[in-house]
Amino acid sequence: MATIEVKNLSKSYEYYKKERGLLGSFKSFLFREKLYAEAVKEVSFSINEGELVGFLGPNGAGKTTTLKMLSGILYPTAGEVKVLGFTPSKREKAYQKQFALVMGQKNQLLRDLPAIETFVLNKEIYEMPDDEFKRNLDELVELFEIKDILDIQVRKLSLGQRMKCELVAALLHKPKVLFLDEPTIGLDVVAQKKIRDFIKKYNQEKKTAIILTSHYMEDIRELCRRVIIINLGKIIYDGNLEDLIRKYAPHKVLTVTFNEGGASREQIEKYGEIAEYNPYGCVIKTPRSEAKNTAVALLSSDLPVDDILIDEVEIDDVVRQIFNR
Amino acid sequence: MKKFLTIIKAFWQRALTYRFTVIAYRIGEMGEIVVLILMWTAIYGTQEVIKGFTLPEMITYILAGNLFHVMVRNFLSTVVAGDIKEGQLSMFLIKPMSYFSYILAREIGRISLATILSVISQFIVISFFLNAFIWNFDSVYLLVIFIMLVLAFVTELLLSYLVGLIAFWTDEVDGLYRTIERVEKFFSGGYFPLSILPAGFVTVSSLLPFAYSFFIPAQLYLKKIDLATGLKGILVQLAWIALLYGLVRVVWERGLRKYEGIGI
Repeated sequence: MATIEVKNLSKSYEYYKKERGLLGSFKSFLFREKLYAEAVKEVSFSINEGELVGFLGPNGAGKTTTLKMLSGILYPTAGEVKVLGFTPSKREKAYQKQFALVMGQKNQLLRDLPAIETFVLNKEIYEMPDDEFKRNLDELVELFEIKDILDIQVRKLSLGQRMKCELVAALLHKPKVLFLDEPTIGLDVVAQKKIRDFIKKYNQEKKTAIILTSHYMEDIRELCRRVIIINLGKIIYDGNLEDLIRKYAPHKVLTVTFNEGGASREQIEKYGEIAEYNPYGCVIKTPRSEAKNTAVALLSSDLPVDDILIDEVEIDDVVRQIFNR
Repeated sequence: MKKFLTIIKAFWQRALTYRFTVIAYRIGEMGEIVVLILMWTAIYGTQEVIKGFTLPEMITYILAGNLFHVMVRNFLSTVVAGDIKEGQLSMFLIKPMSYFSYILAREIGRISLATILSVISQFIVISFFLNAFIWNFDSVYLLVIFIMLVLAFVTELLLSYLVGLIAFWTDEVDGLYRTIERVEKFFSGGYFPLSILPAGFVTVSSLLPFAYSFFIPAQLYLKKIDLATGLKGILVQLAWIALLYGLVRVVWERGLRKYEGIGI
């Protein structure tokens, strides 16, 4: 049986429309037009133990709404959700002790107290035995190198430090299922990398099923073999990340560097579509099958080629292309 | 139980971090009571008795009533409404502990320090008016007052929680909260003893839950109402607790279905 099983899941929100301006506000004070927005429409997917799946989509696509239904925060409007055999919206203790939700924009740490106080609080709430708590805490503290900041008020910590503590707080009870909603948002490159490495390691060691949403393609590229792309509440792709690139990016990218006097635009144009150009370096797009030949041709030409790199198109571009279709 | 204690401890720590705020509030509280006493002293002038109250009785009413009031009040509405509005409630919904238990422990932790300090500051005020303050050491009366205050604490808690939960539908509850606060202060006898008004007011207020956190225990203390009336009052309180508890459950269930967890 799959760890996470979602069938025809839908959620619609109620909202009110307000006309612009102060007069509009007065009008809506007296009368409001009720509208429904469908945030998630008949979504189905299943995820197995140990799988790390990337959830992609623009803002408002329905990613967070789906995660909230998987965590039991929201009641689905229609459809069915099963996680570890439980129905999340029933909010059974047995389920709640086995999963965790980490949100980059929302925190569970008590801001006015040191992180360790929240950890102790969670120990009691999740009813963990002393020795287990100590073991898990020591392990996580070491992994994240946060020993020195445990006793500092959370609001005095940097964003990166706080995120590490948030993850520790969420993982203390060793969840079997983990929902990560933009865990790296706002972090610098080094901190992002640390969090990423950790997620990877955690997933491999504990065989935890993880759903990750992120706007940073680096996160997705490094962590997820499988991605689910969602837009306007509907799944538009569910499968391998590599296949996705192959399917939607028929081009490869050649980054060429010139030395000496450089090269003119006319000289390069015949090798493929020029994406970027300056006399000392350019980026050329060529069909996937032609990439190698083009590189050879460039090297054997009389252009002053210094170096050539052959790369895949950025996932950003691929995803943008899909959303724009 | 250990859960509760840990939460209470954590929020004690938090309150201690903000000791300045906690102490600053007490100064205003003490000032308000002194003003009330000054006002009544001026009104009495040379008069011995107004509406059945002598001046020492009136001063004792104010001092004892306020002491009782600070022991039973809470500030839960705004906390609950804030959690709902800001979506912070989501972080509790995923935990294996009910939100009500959590918030209850948190509120006890949050206000117990303030309450202890309030009680101390009430006694400080009382000490200034020692020559006017009437002591009552009748243990039976004190026991009834004690039971009444415990029940009043529970009633107030459920009521505030209920008002906070309305945020599921309205996002903000400040307006309602303030209005209820004023109605409550009037019917609890916090502005003045309800018995100086026509008898109907006392009858109505004894059927509402509010008077049991101020007027009725203060009157009991002054032995202006007898024990039988006090015990009848306890029954009224129990009925209110049952009613409010039922309402809280229904509103919570229905509210959650509406909850959107905005901002996450």
